[in-house]
Amino acid sequence: MVSKSNWRGLAALTLTLTLTSRVYGDEDLGAMWGTAAEEAKYYPIVNLPIPLGVPMRPGGLEILPDGRLAVGTRRGDIYLIRGAWDSPPNPEYHLFASGQDEIFSLAWKDGALTTTTWGEVTRISDADGDGVADRYDTLTSNWGYAEGHEFAFASKHDPAGNIWVALGLSGSYESHNLFRGWAVKVTPEGKMIPVCSGLRSPGGVGPNAEGVMFAIESQGPWNGCCSLKHLKEGGFLGHPASYNWYPFVPGMKAPALEPNSNSRMGIEKKRVKELVPPAVKFPYIKMGRSISGFRVNRTGGKFGPFENQIFLGDYSLSLIMRATTEQINGVWQGACYPFREGLSTGIMNVEFSPRGQLIAGGFTTSSQWPVRGTEPFALQRIDWSGVVPFETQEINIRKDGFRITFTQPVDPKIAAQPETYAITTYTHVYDAGYGSPEVDPTTAHVTSAVPAPDGLSVEVHLEKIVEDHIHDFDLSRVRSRGGRRLVHSKAYYTVNEIPKD
Amino acid sequence: MTSPLKINARMQDSARLRRILAGTLLVLGLISPACAEVILPALTTSQLDPALKGQVLIEELNCVACHRGDASLVARSKKAPRLADLGARVNPKYLAAFLHDPQGTKPGTTMPDMPTSLTSADRQPVALALTHFLLSVKTNDFSLQPPDAVAAQQGQRLFHSRGCAACHSPRDARGQELLPKTSVPLGALEGKYSFKSLTAFLRQPLLHRPSGRMPDLRLAGAEVERIAHYLLQDTRVPGPLAYTLYRGQVWEGLSSEHVRAERAGIVADFSLSSLGKVEHHTAIRYEGWMNLTNGGRYTFFLKMNGGSLSIDGKDLVRQDPSDRRGPKELEGGADLAAGWRRVQVTYFHTGYDPEFSLEMAGPGGVRQRIPSSMLSISPEPIPVLEPFVVKPELAARGREHFGKLGCANCHDDLAVPAAPATALAKLDSARGCLSGTPGPWPRFDLSTEQRDWIARALPWAEQLQLDARQQVDKTLVTFNCIACHERAGLGGIAPERKGLFTGTQPSLGDQGLLPPPLSHVGAKLKSEAIAAVLLRGQRPRGYVETSMPQFGEANVGELVKLFGQVDHLEAVEFPAVANLQESRNAGHEMIGTAGLGCILCHEFNGQRSGEVGALDLVTVAERLQKNWFHLYLRQPARFHPNVIMPSYWPDGESVRPNILGGNTAQQIEALWIYLADGGRARKPLGLSRQANELRVGDLTEICRGRSPVGYRGIGVGYPERIHLIFDAEEMALRQLWKGEFANVDLGSFHPRGTDTVPFPPGIPFHRLKSLEDSWPYKGRNNYPFPQDHGYQFRGYHLDAQRRPTFRYQYGDIAVKDYFEDVRDPDGRAYFRRTLRFESAAEPLPFYFRAAAGKSVRAHTDRHFEIERLHVRITSDHPGIVRDGNPAEVLLPLKLSAGHTTLTLEYQW
Repeated sequence: MVSKSNWRGLAALTLTLTLTSRVYGDEDLGAMWGTAAEEAKYYPIVNLPIPLGVPMRPGGLEILPDGRLAVGTRRGDIYLIRGAWDSPPNPEYHLFASGQDEIFSLAWKDGALTTTTWGEVTRISDADGDGVADRYDTLTSNWGYAEGHEFAFASKHDPAGNIWVALGLSGSYESHNLFRGWAVKVTPEGKMIPVCSGLRSPGGVGPNAEGVMFAIESQGPWNGCCSLKHLKEGGFLGHPASYNWYPFVPGMKAPALEPNSNSRMGIEKKRVKELVPPAVKFPYIKMGRSISGFRVNRTGGKFGPFENQIFLGDYSLSLIMRATTEQINGVWQGACYPFREGLSTGIMNVEFSPRGQLIAGGFTTSSQWPVRGTEPFALQRIDWSGVVPFETQEINIRKDGFRITFTQPVDPKIAAQPETYAITTYTHVYDAGYGSPEVDPTTAHVTSAVPAPDGLSVEVHLEKIVEDHIHDFDLSRVRSRGGRRLVHSKAYYTVNEIPKD
Repeated sequence: MTSPLKINARMQDSARLRRILAGTLLVLGLISPACAEVILPALTTSQLDPALKGQVLIEELNCVACHRGDASLVARSKKAPRLADLGARVNPKYLAAFLHDPQGTKPGTTMPDMPTSLTSADRQPVALALTHFLLSVKTNDFSLQPPDAVAAQQGQRLFHSRGCAACHSPRDARGQELLPKTSVPLGALEGKYSFKSLTAFLRQPLLHRPSGRMPDLRLAGAEVERIAHYLLQDTRVPGPLAYTLYRGQVWEGLSSEHVRAERAGIVADFSLSSLGKVEHHTAIRYEGWMNLTNGGRYTFFLKMNGGSLSIDGKDLVRQDPSDRRGPKELEGGADLAAGWRRVQVTYFHTGYDPEFSLEMAGPGGVRQRIPSSMLSISPEPIPVLEPFVVKPELAARGREHFGKLGCANCHDDLAVPAAPATALAKLDSARGCLSGTPGPWPRFDLSTEQRDWIARALPWAEQLQLDARQQVDKTLVTFNCIACHERAGLGGIAPERKGLFTGTQPSLGDQGLLPPPLSHVGAKLKSEAIAAVLLRGQRPRGYVETSMPQFGEANVGELVKLFGQVDHLEAVEFPAVANLQESRNAGHEMIGTAGLGCILCHEFNGQRSGEVGALDLVTVAERLQKNWFHLYLRQPARFHPNVIMPSYWPDGESVRPNILGGNTAQQIEALWIYLADGGRARKPLGLSRQANELRVGDLTEICRGRSPVGYRGIGVGYPERIHLIFDAEEMALRQLWKGEFANVDLGSFHPRGTDTVPFPPGIPFHRLKSLEDSWPYKGRNNYPFPQDHGYQFRGYHLDAQRRPTFRYQYGDIAVKDYFEDVRDPDGRAYFRRTLRFESAAEPLPFYFRAAAGKSVRAHTDRHFEIERLHVRITSDHPGIVRDGNPAEVLLPLKLSAGHTTLTLEYQW
């Protein structure tokens, strides 16, 4: 399941847990953010009971038009669940389909559930209306699948009805089978169109708030840490093992250059013009170790203050994070923020309920990747208590700094002091080796900070923004007007581009 | 030609002129651009104290051999190679060239050059005389063996993965060294060694180089041979004809993935007998040149099952092999000019009664085999290595030089009296061989920095008082241990070499690829465990492909003790265990899957439960110090920043609070107590994986995924207790069986039951061009298959009993493929299969392969018996039998536009 990066991460997690700070500096971030108790005041976690005998290892999640929760499982079953949104939850499970390969993604459209498994995209429907699926129409199976790490994670339908599929590498290192390391889209007619190369071990796929398609990527070779990657048509997303499939794509030519190892993304993207830098990087361990499925919050405020933001899980650390994206100079980038920790199993996917609750599901594996949560599998719900937490709402880049938006007004006096904002920067080695330490560290010099009159945002001016660096925000000195601290004081902005004006 | 050394000496004050000169010399090929200095990689890559670096150099250059000094320094210094057997080991030509110009012949070598006081005119005769002397000592029977290109290719991988390339430079595909500046130099080995002498050296490197700088990698004999073939792949030996021999499913052609090159070499002619016994299903490719005395019309006559003949790249005869017929008589001709013509012959030893003959009729008209005398592997003459004849008078003169020039000081195994120089204690680093000025001393090519290191170390080189840590550091640098092992504060694997380290368990991350770090090793391993690895070749990490070499106990034995003296970690206070049995039981529980699941990643007594086979747990107590075990389990990442093993006691809190009251120290102690029983420990729970049986009731059951037929198998279990696997990759029936259905795991299934009938891989429908052609199947490398044959899988629909109708496309034909489990009047269950074809236009005829197996018997043209399977066609579609491997039941189908239905039955 998920990628190899999990392994290392949990290990490195324990590193930060302990006294040793050789690799990750002096920050006390650790495995636990240490914020669970505070988070619970605003976002309590509710368990959805699973009856004995239901092998519920959730992979794909979907909401049906009638409000039921559909769950596709590792065992290849689809359960339809009624009553999952009630408090306390009173779920009834109905087995709709079975006998499939492991289900990683699930999407409803036009009377059918479309699953993506290891080997294919399948439209599953119930023609005779007896409540049990009887039609399993394969839309495509035209990618190579002959190795145990060749995962296939997919999006919901895009507006044109296409399903986008991100295909993991063989053995998560190489590309031995057709289109491993590519993202493809599958039309409603079952035509498979390759979109971009260069993925390693992708997980969830989906649109951001603007409807542009992204996939999550795992730390490993050519990937210093986990990231959210823009699936740009014709793009190359960083891992060159999948170059070998260009001859199989009519009308697409292999990039003229391969990236150099032991380099930097900022250097190589100028050499290899197809190279699309990761939009949001998740500093390893600080922000997950094996990020997984994601979903944009479109609950219209029912889930609290973070409308239109991306919510994503982490498999190894059993937690949920937020991310925001913006397009600068034609390139996507953005920030990630801690949100909720302490879930009880490895999170594979998330979904929003019709009532604006966040559903998170997943499992631990019987044989491989270690997970912090100890439950073999679980479906959990995060509800909003109705109380707005004092949080960083969003960080946006400016040509000379950042605008930080908060969920509640900040203390204007503290917010106007430059030393309130501790911002360091670093990047990763772009390298064929496994993962990367954080390198080229700098400390940003905040020249001034100007709070807006309403106190909901601050313009933070920097002497210099460092391109190709993660800007690591420590906002622990910020106070609300009532003198409260932020629930989470950290945020990480990936600077691919600096606005020209 | 002007002597470079003379000019160099005269112009040495002018840096500018030196630069110009160096350029000229480069052009003349006299000196190598990369190295004007001795290369000892670890001196560059380590963080060793510069004075210690000087000490390493003094020892590696064996200064004490000339500058007599303390016995302990003599003992520490590197012994020069033993030369007595040189005549059997090294090519005489190489020896002469190397003695004449060591740095030019082997850039980076530690062997010093002749004194710069010797004029260029003197050097040549001196080198020659030395050569005669060295080859006079014992037998002088050096001979060359032809390279094996197949072995060389395997050797290339081994050279880079086994650890050779950790010290020596990795090479690109053309053999170009990629990191010459940070690698122990090899020079051009094909000029130096023969296959025989290099394999002998690699098998016992310490025999002639006792100081262990070139360690014994303890490789299997075949691996040593492959590496030698790789390093000597440019060896040129004259011979008539080169061949490469292939084995496997050669009837599919040489490009088939099931065909593998087995060996290569040189034979006398095209007669098969010169290859020894040729097994069935072999292919041979001959390559060579044929010298034609007369131009004119030449005709070639071949008898073979399949193969080809080309002259100067032009095909004259080509016949695809087929396992379904005997040999054919083939003929081809061409007008050929006199002189050397390039010949390539490929022969497939396959089909019935395989045989091979090749005859040629020239303009004279006589038809005959091509004699060995007309053939050569090269149109240019390849010189034969003439035996070197030692001239006694030259040898005698060489012996004198050997003594006077100081060779005998280092190479002290030939009983030549040595010429002592100034005693070490009285050395002045500004003078003599360290000064860089010419004189009657050996010329050492040292960089300014290297001279500086030596100068710093010289004053105390003899009375060296190193503490244990310094001794460890110096030894690890001397033997370049840090090329493979990280040691905190000293160095480790260079980033540009990291990619060379490979393993068979990639899921273990870096720990599955890289040799373990040596930081804290003395506080980690018991000293017996260090000795086992360092001195006795034990390899606990079988999945790391790099071999742990043996450097010789005399050379590195001290490390066992020194590591223990140097490495210390804080002492853990072990908890008092009140009830030993309770503790052992808790350890047993934690190791198993119901506890911490250690065995999911670690092997236990050689048995593996998960996909990962990390270090065997039963050796833990034997290898590790208990103190380290306690520290490591609390914080694995403290010892490996990239460790994949998680901490089960984060922040000191156990993730299993219900065991031993959640007491961290007690839990770790319990694991130790349990593991201390080693191989006798009670087998942990969950050691063998259990799969879930999927039973079939009144409705058909389906399971999909990884299966015996591939990754896209669909297993269907029918209520009549007969079952099948349909391969959604090739849209083919692949297996039938009876009884219990299957074990189903996540994403995979495995049939249970009995009476299994397998079907070979391959698509169901195909347009065979000839009945001799092979039936296509998806191999590993035909990526777009079977879509490139018009196939597209479209899924399945279920009937009321949930029996699937598979749906797929074959070109413009839509196929519905339905299996029904039925019973005959005697109550025996069988499958009735209905294939419905639909096509708008009339498709071209094609064959349907209804069954295949080892042997097929036709009862009628509607009833076939394949081993114990009976196939009966119940619609009007007669079948034929095609013999071969496998034998097949083929139904020629010519469909009309619209619908066609084909029905058949499978009973076994």
